Amino acid sequence: MAKKTYDLLFKLLLIGDSGVGKTCVLFRFSDDAFNTTFISTIGIDFKIKTVELQGKKIKLQIWDTAGQERFHTITTSYYRGAMGIMLVYDITNAKSFENISKWLRNIDEHANEDVERMLLGNKCDMEDKRVVPKAKGEQIAREHGIRFFETSAKANISIEKAFLTLAEDILRKTPVKEPNSENVDISSGSGVTGWKSKCCS
Amino acid sequence: MEFGDESSPALAFEKDAFELTAEDVYDISYVIGRDLLKISRTGDEVSDLQFRIVRVLEMFETLVNKYNLSVEELRMERDNLKSELDRIVKESSCGQATHTAGPNQLVVDLTDPNRPRFTMQELKEVLQERNQLKAQLMVAQEELQLYKSGILPRAEPAMVEVDLETPAATEHSPATINDAKEEKTTIGKLFSFRRK
Repeated sequence: MAKKTYDLLFKLLLIGDSGVGKTCVLFRFSDDAFNTTFISTIGIDFKIKTVELQGKKIKLQIWDTAGQERFHTITTSYYRGAMGIMLVYDITNAKSFENISKWLRNIDEHANEDVERMLLGNKCDMEDKRVVPKAKGEQIAREHGIRFFETSAKANISIEKAFLTLAEDILRKTPVKEPNSENVDISSGSGVTGWKSKCCS
Repeated sequence: MEFGDESSPALAFEKDAFELTAEDVYDISYVIGRDLLKISRTGDEVSDLQFRIVRVLEMFETLVNKYNLSVEELRMERDNLKSELDRIVKESSCGQATHTAGPNQLVVDLTDPNRPRFTMQELKEVLQERNQLKAQLMVAQEELQLYKSGILPRAEPAMVEVDLETPAATEHSPATINDAKEEKTTIGKLFSFRRK
């Protein structure tokens, strides 16, 4: 494609236990919709959303991973290309919170060293079923020096804010230059190239 | 002597009602009959009563027989089911012994149409291809949108090749030579995708 509709391409990755709502978080952000039926993600999927930050059109290619252990080898091969990783847990599921350290280790092992990380405590609309206090999420995030949001894909709480904040954090450390689609590696799935409209040449 | 004589049939009176056999009923009949005989020697007034007692004893005999038969049937049914269960348990444990060679191995039922049969590598490749195609579709959709909205005017030479796929775009005005070159690049890329 000779023309680009965006200035920058950021690759983000969603990880976390099965059933915490990664796909729903992404679906809310990309399509502003929510579906209550649980369909387990098979391996890896992605969505695209273009946002505008600081006058720049930023194309976000967001990879949604399967939380199930059996897809581990597939999902970890996508860590390397990610510029930002969202680690999601479920505030009504203690186990998903306990596993945060496991997911953080996965990031250390498989992702780029300078990857931007963020912690999300999802399903915060379900206050009556909460088992993980907000303070515990904040604490573990502080310990690892990463940002933290409590979100709800269902009630649309802080979803957009989380994605935009992560994109801003990546933008902040991105050297200012024209985008180059060649650094996109299709084998790890980011085959999306764009083009900039140039109507009056 | 007399006591010893009647002691054995009279024992039937002591038994639990559900333990009674037809033999016991006959013993009971024998004892009652003998007692009736003692009474009847004194007069004929008891003969009607005697017949009624015989009738009751006959009914009693039928009930005891029927009851014992049902118990026997149920016992046989139970034994059959027991041996069937034992056979199935034995068979399934035999089957498992031959299939589970180790604690980390999985038994696969070859008759299950939904059994796992692809490797992780195969799944990985299919997912990669799916995501590539999805990415290409998005690019194509976005491009189509631009053509439709008239932002990207289409060049004549390029049109010939892509016409088959996107007839909707033909209505756009011809483009400059410059744009035509760029279109060729686009199509080249589209075709290179297909060759993969």
